Amino acid sequence: MTAPTIPAQPGADLSPRPLPWRRMAGVTWRQHRYALVGVVVLLGALAVWVWTAGTSLHNAYAAAVACHPVNSSACVNLVVSFNGSATDKFMGSKGAGGVLLQVMPALIGAFAGAPVLARELETGTFRFAWTQGFGRWRWALAKLVLLGVVLAAATAAFGALVSWYFQPESGANSQIPGLYEASPFGNLFSLREVTFPAWTLAAFTIAALAGMLIRRVVPAIVATLAVYAGLAFAVAAFLRKHYLTPLVTSNINISLPGGSTAWTIGQWTTKGGRFAFAGNPPDSLVNQLCSNVPQDKIGPLGFAPCLAQHGYTQWTSYQPATRFWPFQWIEGGWLLALSVLLVAAVIWLVRRRAA
Amino acid sequence: MTALTTPARPDDDTSPRPIPWRRMTGVTWRQHRYALAAVAVLLGGLAGWLWIAGTSVHHDYAAVTACRPASAPACQDLATTFNGTWNAMSIPSVLLQLLPALIGAFVGAPLLARELETGTFRFAWTQGFGRWRWALAKLVPLAVVLAAATCAFGALVSWCYQPFLAPGNQELGIYGNTPFAVVFSLREVTFPAWTVATFAIGALAGMLIRRVVPAIVATLAVYAGLAVVAAAFLREHYLTPLVSSDTNVPGTAWIIGQWWTKDGRFAFAGNPPDSLLNACSFPQGPGGKGGGIGGPGGPPSSANPFAQCLAPHGYAPWTSFQPATRFWPFQWIEGGWLLVLAALLIAVTIWLVHRRAA
Repeated sequence: MTAPTIPAQPGADLSPRPLPWRRMAGVTWRQHRYALVGVVVLLGALAVWVWTAGTSLHNAYAAAVACHPVNSSACVNLVVSFNGSATDKFMGSKGAGGVLLQVMPALIGAFAGAPVLARELETGTFRFAWTQGFGRWRWALAKLVLLGVVLAAATAAFGALVSWYFQPESGANSQIPGLYEASPFGNLFSLREVTFPAWTLAAFTIAALAGMLIRRVVPAIVATLAVYAGLAFAVAAFLRKHYLTPLVTSNINISLPGGSTAWTIGQWTTKGGRFAFAGNPPDSLVNQLCSNVPQDKIGPLGFAPCLAQHGYTQWTSYQPATRFWPFQWIEGGWLLALSVLLVAAVIWLVRRRAA
Repeated sequence: MTALTTPARPDDDTSPRPIPWRRMTGVTWRQHRYALAAVAVLLGGLAGWLWIAGTSVHHDYAAVTACRPASAPACQDLATTFNGTWNAMSIPSVLLQLLPALIGAFVGAPLLARELETGTFRFAWTQGFGRWRWALAKLVPLAVVLAAATCAFGALVSWCYQPFLAPGNQELGIYGNTPFAVVFSLREVTFPAWTVATFAIGALAGMLIRRVVPAIVATLAVYAGLAVVAAAFLREHYLTPLVSSDTNVPGTAWIIGQWWTKDGRFAFAGNPPDSLLNACSFPQGPGGKGGGIGGPGGPPSSANPFAQCLAPHGYAPWTSFQPATRFWPFQWIEGGWLLVLAALLIAVTIWLVHRRAA
């Protein structure tokens, strides 16, 4: 049998071409649709709750601000009512709701990120997934980037809602006496438009790396939660206050609780230019110099006014509220750099692992 | 070849006997040693921190209570120091409430779900030990171990937070709160009860969903819903609240509702409406700024600021509250219904194991 032969056409390129990247979108969706839908449902439910609480807070704020004359009983009552909502034990800045919301980046990142690689390795399906036409490291990169972008978008939208919630406490109407204002650094700083996606991405990439190293899903989730907890605590307690050098002032009114938007970092007292003590004055000093101060004169400023009469100067180091956005971008920036580093580490491990 | 035969001895019982229950302890340990070790490390680490923090809390509290007279400026200074420790301990009191959820979900959900997801149930359930005995022998000892560990941890939490919940703090001018509102679900009875209940929820979720990670997520979600419902709605009604017209309810009492009556009929609840307030002159707080509610470490006051100005107009305040003396009955009520729920869920899980087609 003679087979007809066609000479190779010079324009036809017969070398095998890699599959286009966009094909991975469908694969990623199919393999992670439950996780993504779960994240959207969770954020949606929390958004409804934050929006409900925020609407009542904004209404109380609008009523307190619009009331005239400012010193009448009815207006003062509206201010007290707003202050009560703002310091509400559940959703206030130190309330249970606010604290529990801060575990969201950890949960979202851990449960979305750990199964990406760990599930394939645990069940053995990596032998199938990594030998398709799409190369193994391209497969991993496409998945991590796609999932990361979707999570970042969803959490950024939620972060905008959180910022909207805390907007009445920003001290814009400080001429109204007694109206509660708080430092934006203490109002769920890690859940805003820039930091919530950044923390979620960091948890997500930590989970992906943990999954690649541990190769089991549930231990990877546990390891991610543990690492995230340590990192979040270290940042909130030590790192965050030093992003920019704190300002120092001897004005004792800078840190009135409920009456200032500055973030107080440290307080110490000097006398005659030399360091005397840090924080609260020692009893011996109070006994010696301020023992005749009547109890009702000890206001939120403590013993600072009395000690000032004896030559002591109280210094406060603080971050002003105007530095909120620079701090957001600094924290978001280094967290994003960390995420990129971790993704690079995951890709390198995927390439290196023996087939 | 001739085979030797021995006549059957009448007192020999050669019928197959079920394997003794104690053999399952080794199996349970081997299959769940990492989970139990992780729980031990987690609780141990937190216990260490609670011990250190609690020592400093007790030290500051002893200094404040020993100081005389209580209104002297030096004693006020010690009170400020003590209130500062509450600022540090208030956030952990909320975060620790995640522990029953995490422990119960991560130990309970993989128990059955892992076997079903990987298919190893076909092996585990066809051993000499029957399938429902196997499930029961795993669930009950694990629940007992978790209950014992969390009960000990709950005792440590009680000790650590006791100065913030002691009676008489308001008179000393230091932070004090009702034991119903602070770490109520982390005490010696409720912490094991919540953990075992979540563990049982996890086991049932694992049996129904048959996949480990979705079962963990479902357990966390169900726990969150149950905890919110219990804390916000159920807990205040375990016993009928007391009602009092005395505006000086003790600071450790849990105030549930406040309303006003006039001439024996209901007038309004909570704060008076604006129209009535024009009859009052409201005193300004100390210092124009920040003189409202919510100074740090200020004790939550139960004395009603409106009582003095509205009383001459015929309005009487009423408060419904739970006194602190009811703390232990409430602990046992909550522990009791949670344990009943856990037993019920374990029974349902065993029934499902028994029923599932081989």
